[in-house]
Order: sequence, then structure tokens, then C-alpha cells
Amino acid sequence: MVIFRKLDTISYPTALGFALTSAVWMAIATFTGLLGATELIAPDLTSAWGWLEFGRIRPIHVNLVIFGFVGPGLFSAAVYILPRLLRTSLYSERLGVLTVSAWNITLLAATVSLSLGYSQGREYAEMVWPIDVLIVVGLLLLFFNLVMTVRKREEPVLYVSVWYMLAAVILTASTFALGNVIWQPSTGALAGIPDAIILWFYGHNVFGLFLTPLSIGVAYYVIPRACRAPLYSHTLSLIGFWALIVVYTHIGTHHLLQVPVPTWLKVIAIVDSVAMVIPVMAFLINIWYTVKGKLGEIHADIGARFIFSGTIMYFFVSIQGSMMALPDVQRVTHFNNWVVGHAHIGVLGFSGMIAIGGLYHVLPLMLRRPVYSLFLADLQYWLILIGVSGFAVVLTIAGLIQGNAWLNGETVYRVLSQIHVYYVIRASLGLMIFTGALIGVYNMVGTIWFRGEASS
Amino acid sequence: MKMTPLAVVVGSLLILGAVVFVAVILPTADTSNTPASDILRPRTPAENQGRALYIANGCVFCHSQSIRNIDWDLGAKRIARAGDYLMDRPILLGSERTGPDLSQEGGEHPDDWHTAHFKNPRITRPLSIMPAFAFLDQGSRNSLIRYVQGLGLKDADLRMKRQTYWKKESVRAYEAGPEANIRWLHDMVPEGWRKLPNPYPTTAAGLARGHKIYQDFCLGCHGPIGDGMGPAQADLYPPPLNFTILKGRGITGGILYYQIMNGITGTAMPYFKRELESEKIWDVGDFAAVYFINQSDAGGDPAGIDAAYE
Ligand code: HEC
Ligand code: HEC
Ligand code: HEM
Repeated sequence: MVIFRKLDTISYPTALGFALTSAVWMAIATFTGLLGATELIAPDLTSAWGWLEFGRIRPIHVNLVIFGFVGPGLFSAAVYILPRLLRTSLYSERLGVLTVSAWNITLLAATVSLSLGYSQGREYAEMVWPIDVLIVVGLLLLFFNLVMTVRKREEPVLYVSVWYMLAAVILTASTFALGNVIWQPSTGALAGIPDAIILWFYGHNVFGLFLTPLSIGVAYYVIPRACRAPLYSHTLSLIGFWALIVVYTHIGTHHLLQVPVPTWLKVIAIVDSVAMVIPVMAFLINIWYTVKGKLGEIHADIGARFIFSGTIMYFFVSIQGSMMALPDVQRVTHFNNWVVGHAHIGVLGFSGMIAIGGLYHVLPLMLRRPVYSLFLADLQYWLILIGVSGFAVVLTIAGLIQGNAWLNGETVYRVLSQIHVYYVIRASLGLMIFTGALIGVYNMVGTIWFRGEASS
Repeated sequence: MKMTPLAVVVGSLLILGAVVFVAVILPTADTSNTPASDILRPRTPAENQGRALYIANGCVFCHSQSIRNIDWDLGAKRIARAGDYLMDRPILLGSERTGPDLSQEGGEHPDDWHTAHFKNPRITRPLSIMPAFAFLDQGSRNSLIRYVQGLGLKDADLRMKRQTYWKKESVRAYEAGPEANIRWLHDMVPEGWRKLPNPYPTTAAGLARGHKIYQDFCLGCHGPIGDGMGPAQADLYPPPLNFTILKGRGITGGILYYQIMNGITGTAMPYFKRELESEKIWDVGDFAAVYFINQSDAGGDPAGIDAAYE
């Protein structure tokens, strides 16, 4: 209780807590990524330590990026933005801090258990049952806090960011429980083809109902604010929101196009993966027209710059995604590094950039002082932008080599030596991204504790 | 449209509910009475133990178990059917092929090949980037072997029966001494191949290519000097062939070609027909003949082909 009383002296402890969570876990998550990339070049480097084995590191990397770095970064912005938009304060900072603490314990437990080999072996649902439960509880606590904040609002109109944030948290709690087959604690799985269907229903919604709507919610707040212009269109906001909920949720089967699942389900997935241009373009047109003629303001605000770049990545990843859902394209791209490239454009280039940008935008507002070092923030921006763009290039090249070679009857083993050089470049780019993450931690800690003494 | 909190939360939950009905519950109902496929059989307890280790160590992130009609590599013998997966909880389709598909891995190699490969894949496959599983104890590695040898279920059992039969034969031949072993090996090669010399003459370029192929595919077993003392030797029985003992024992380019193309079932010697095209097999065979056996019939009489390119 002493801690709680002390909390009352800090402003925005929940948002600050999530911000620190995001920065620190980004460093850890990108380090595990770098480690995995290194193991693909020098597989014997870490062979003395079983808990660092590639197959254990990879799920740690993926889960920490999603639930440790991007998720909490966007939560931080949401927890700050939502009350601002509603002219009130967060319903309960204590509950918020409790949520932050529980979330961090969950992440720690996930890291340790996966490295010890406690895994359910289903992508994005690897974590074992107790951790699944902790995540659902964390999301529900957060949702409760946000909804209660909405209830005590002074502002009658809900701005579009609020819709996305509310929907993202509650829908993710639901799909996470469903996709992790949470009513089957021992395996966390169904049997056979239904397991694949429910897994990818959920897996796709990690991007569609968790990362994307939270990122969009933050962008809808920061971009108009940074360029001091009203949002271009309320109608587009409405179309984009409802189209996202309707379309994004049911196209997960495009991950299973080459698997014996019912054909009608594949047809729906393919057709509506193309229909994804509706929610995507509704949001992008809305944001880009808001920015029209005001790129200077965006450039001047480091947070907005990250976020605007994120929206451009969103354009690319979504157009690419719609193409990848076409069976003819997927004959070449499935099962290889092309998809890994796509995943990084989406998760790091789009939602990750927006998470970082959100933090850089709201931290100075919360603390009422500038970012510790704008130079470092700028450096971080370029490291990550070059890193993720480079990923897109080399992983796409590697993927095309693999996909086309396989289609021509080459074996996987024969192609290993052909893609080696791209693995080396990928690891070097990974080093840039990891450096960016370390700079981010330093800058964030600086902003919170060094009181903006550094000049910019 | 007025976006009240109720509209946002309940509205989107309702939509999600409808989507779950259409995209999860209906297809689950649709697929829940899939009939068992012809290869389905229950897994043994040892195989299930291995499967748990497969999950714990994230093999699924590098290996698919899902063969498509456009595949050529390992496992392409059989296109996946829904009925193959009925007992897989979770299903381990995988989404990336850093390594080959393992749907039909059972019986592809004998157990001793896997023993060496799991300790360190570079032993049998010099360019592999698969992690070494030496950190697991031998018992765990044996469970993993039981699991991968069961992949393909009834199809795997057929191949395993062949492996077990020929393992006994090859061990008996090996233990009877070099002379008998080589006779046994060569008696299995059809006569036409046995008499066929390598039709292409030895060239420096061909030897250089053969050397490269030897390093990328054969080195770990047959060893840097072709005496069968590569690092895999410790785990393989019969051990990799010492090429030098072939000298003066009726070896021909045709025998080398045939054995490299088809492998020797029951022994760790894999087949290379999928990985090496014709010219590469002639080249690596001649490399072994020239450098290790010290006796090559390449381009000699009876000259096979007046080749435009050699
Ligand atoms: C980093 C990715 C990676 C991981 C993790 C991995 N493998 Fe592999 N695996 C490969 C690659 C690459 C090959 C092809 C080269 C070779 O044969 O070593 C391969 C080959 C194999 C083969 C031989 C296939 C054949 O007949 O040629 C088997 C069996 C196998 N892996 C089983 C496993 C098992 C079981 C695990 C988990 C305990 C595992 N692998 C984990 C990458 C991986
Ligand atoms: C995993 C280990 C392994 C690898 C890799 C391997 N071999 Fe073998 N090889 C063997 C074993 C074991 C035998 C049979 C020994 C016996 O039965 O006595 C054999 C036999 C042979 C024979 C039979 C010779 C004869 O006279 O019948 C040839 C030829 C041969 N290997 C060539 C190659 C070449 C060329 C490569 C590379 C492209 C290669 N091997 C890769 C293990 C291996
Ligand atoms: C219109 C939007 C999008 C469409 C239609 C789409 C489509 C696809 C398809 C078809 C695949 C499967 C590729 C394969 O296995 O062959 C895929 C994979 C993936 N997508 Fe997207 N995508 C879209 C947007 C996004 C966004 C915005 C993100 C991130 C926030 C994202 C993240 C991923 C990831 C991480 C994977 C890899 C999944 C795996 O582990 O196999 N995608 N996407």
C-alpha cells in the first residue's frame, strides 16, 4: 500500500509503465531476433546451450515482439490518449499499474518457459496455459479500465481512436482465448485440420485485431494533432472501422491455401483478402488527406514522423498481403523467407514504428518536457527504417530464390548455400535494429529520469 | 451513425461472433467427420514422446508436415490429405521450410543416420543449418528418432521394414570382411551398370566440380581422404565405405554412378538422385575414383559416347 500511495505522486504511472515495458522488451525481443538470425549463419555457435536453440529462441522472439514490444507500446499511448480524448482521467491508475506489473511477469514467465522447452508448438500460441490465462486476464483488466474511463467521460462524442482501442482490447481477449483453445489446458489445441483453422483464425487476428487497430487508433490521434488539422473525413473513419472488423477477422485461412481445408473457406479467404483494400485504403486516405500539404509539420515531430512512416509501411504490407493471398503468387512465396519479409514490414515497419512514434509523441506530453535527445531519436528512426526496409529487400530476394528453385525441383538442402549471403545481410541489418532498440531504451530512460538536461 | 460505447463494443463483438460461426465453427463441423486416410495408424508411446520433444524444441518452425501438389523434395511421394492428420493434436503443419518437409520422413534413412544427424547435422550434411541436438540426452534423441521414423505412418512402416531387412544384410556383409562386403555391394548393381565405364574423360574442371560436391555432400561420412573416417563414422554401422579398398576389385564408373544415385538401403549411404543431376554424379564419382580409389575408367575403353560436351 505504501507503493500505491507513492504512485499517487507520479502522473500517468500506467502509461509510463507500459512505455518502459515496451522499450525494455523491444531490446530483449530484437536481441533474440538477432540471435536467431546469427544461428542461421553459424548454427554451432550456441550449440552448447540448449535453451538458446533456434527452435526455442524463435517463439520467444515472436511473442516478445508482439506482446512485449509493440503491444505495450501501443497500450501506453492508448492509456494516455483515451482519457485525453474523453476529457477525463484514467479510471484507475492503481489497477493500471497492477496490469503493467502482471503483464511484465507474464512476459518473463513466457521467456523462461519457452526457453526451457515448455511450448504448445502452435504459432503465436506457443505459450503454455497458465501464461495464456495471464494474458487474457491482463487484457480484460485493461479493457475494464478503459471502459470505466469511457463511462466517466465528460466528452459525449467518441473519437475514432477510442473505437479502435476499445475494440482491439476486447476482441483480442476473445480471439486469444479461442485461438489458444484455452478450454484444453494440457495441449491448447484441437486435433487435425480444425486445429489449423482455429489457429490461423486467431493467428491472423493477432495482426488484424490487436496490432492493426491499436496502431490505427494511435495514428488517428497523433497525425491530426501533429499537423494541427482536423481529420479529413468522419465517413471514412466509419467505413474503415467497420470494414476492418468485418473483413480482417475472417481471412485467416489464407495461411492454409495449400492445405486440405474446405475449398469454400479458401475462396472466402482469398476474395476477402483482396477486399482488405477497403479498410486499408479508407484509413490511409483519411490520414494522408489530413496530412496533405502539411508534411513539414510531420517531419518536425519525431513521433509523428515514425507514425507517418508506419502508415506508408501499412500500405506496402497490405498490398503485398493481398497479392500473397492469390494462389498463383503463393505457389512461389509460401514456406520461405518472402513471408518472413512480409511479417517484418507489418509488425516492425507498420505497427512497431507506430508504437515507437506513439511513445515519442505522448511521453513529452505526459512529462511536460521534451524528449531527452532528439538526435538519438532521429538516429533510432533511421536505424530502424533502414533495417526494416533492408529486411524487406533481402528476405524477399531470398524468398524468391527459394520459392522458384523449389518450384523447379531443387531440394531445400541445395538452396541453403544460395541464400546464405542474404542471411548474413539480414543479421547485419538485425544488428542495426537491435542498436536502435538500445538507443530507444536509453532515450526513454533519459526522458523520464534525466529531466531533459541533454540538449537536442 | 452514432458511435456509442455500446455500439462499438457490442457491435464488434457481435460481428466477431458471426465470423467465428462462419469461419471457425462451420468449417470445424465440415471437417470433423473426415474419414481416416489409408496411412493412418495410432502412434506408439515412444513416438508420442518424440513428438512432445519435437514441439518443445520448435522443430515445427523449420520443418513443415504438409505436402502440396507442386512439391518435389523430400516427402513429395504423397500429397497431404485431411485424413492424415486426425490424430495430430496440435497439428504441426508448419509455416516455413528452412529445412525439408518431414511428412514422409519415416524410413528415409536407417536409425544410425539419424543418431549421427541429431548429434550434429553437419556430420552427415556438411552445409546444414539445423541446430545440433547434442544437448539432449541420448534417450531423448532416441525418442525423436522413433517419432521421425514414424512420420508417414503406415507408409513409413513399409519403408522401415525395408530398412530393417537390409540393415541386417549389410551388417552381415560388412562383418564378413572387405572382399565379401564389396562383392555383396556390387552384386546388387544390375549387370549393365556394373560393366559401364564412366563415358566422360577425366578433366581438371570435372575434378574441381567433383571436389566441391564431395565437400558439400559426402565429406562427413567418407572423410577428407576417402577412407571412411569422417566424423559420422563413430555412429554408423556399417561404417562409411573406405574407398581405397575398392582398388582392383572390379570397380567401374557405372557402379559408382548407380550407388550414388540410388544409395544403399539399410546403410547410412543416402540416395542422391534428387539432389545431384547426372553430370554431378559422374563428376563426384570420378573424383572419388581418381583421388581415393586411384583407379579411374573415365573416358576409357569401351568409350561410351562421342560426347559433344564432356
Ligand atoms: C534452424 C532450422 C531447423 C530446426 C530448428 C530443425 N531443423 Fe531439421 N533440418 C533443417 C535443415 C536446414 C535440414 C536440411 C539439412 C540436413 O539434413 O541437416 C534439416 C534436416 C532434418 C532431417 C533430415 C531430413 C532428410 O531426410 O534429409 C530431419 C529428420 C530433421 N531435420 C529433423 C528435425 C527435428 C526432429 C528437429 C527438432 C528436434 C529439427 N529437425 C529442427 C533445419 C532445422
Ligand atoms: C551418412 C553417411 C554417408 C554419406 C553422406 C555418403 N555416404 Fe557413401 N556410403 C556410406 C555407407 C555407410 C556406405 C556403405 C558401407 C557398406 O555397406 O559397407 C557407403 C557406400 C558408398 C558407395 C558404394 C561403393 C561401392 O563400391 O558400392 C559409394 C560409391 C559412395 N558411398 C559414394 C558416396 C558419395 C559420392 C557421397 C556424396 C555424394 C556419399 N557416398 C555420401 C555412407 C555415406
Ligand atoms: C491486407 C492486409 C494483409 C493481407 C491480405 C495479408 C496476407 C498475408 C498472407 C496471405 C500471409 C501468409 C503467407 C504464407 O504463409 O504464404 C501473411 C502472413 C503474415 N502476415 Fe500478413 N497480410 C496483411 C497485412 C499484414 C499486417 C498489417 C501485418 C502486421 C501487422 C501482417 C503480418 C503477417 C505476419 C507476421 C505473417 C506471417 C505469418 C506466419 O508466421 O506464417 N500482415 N499475410
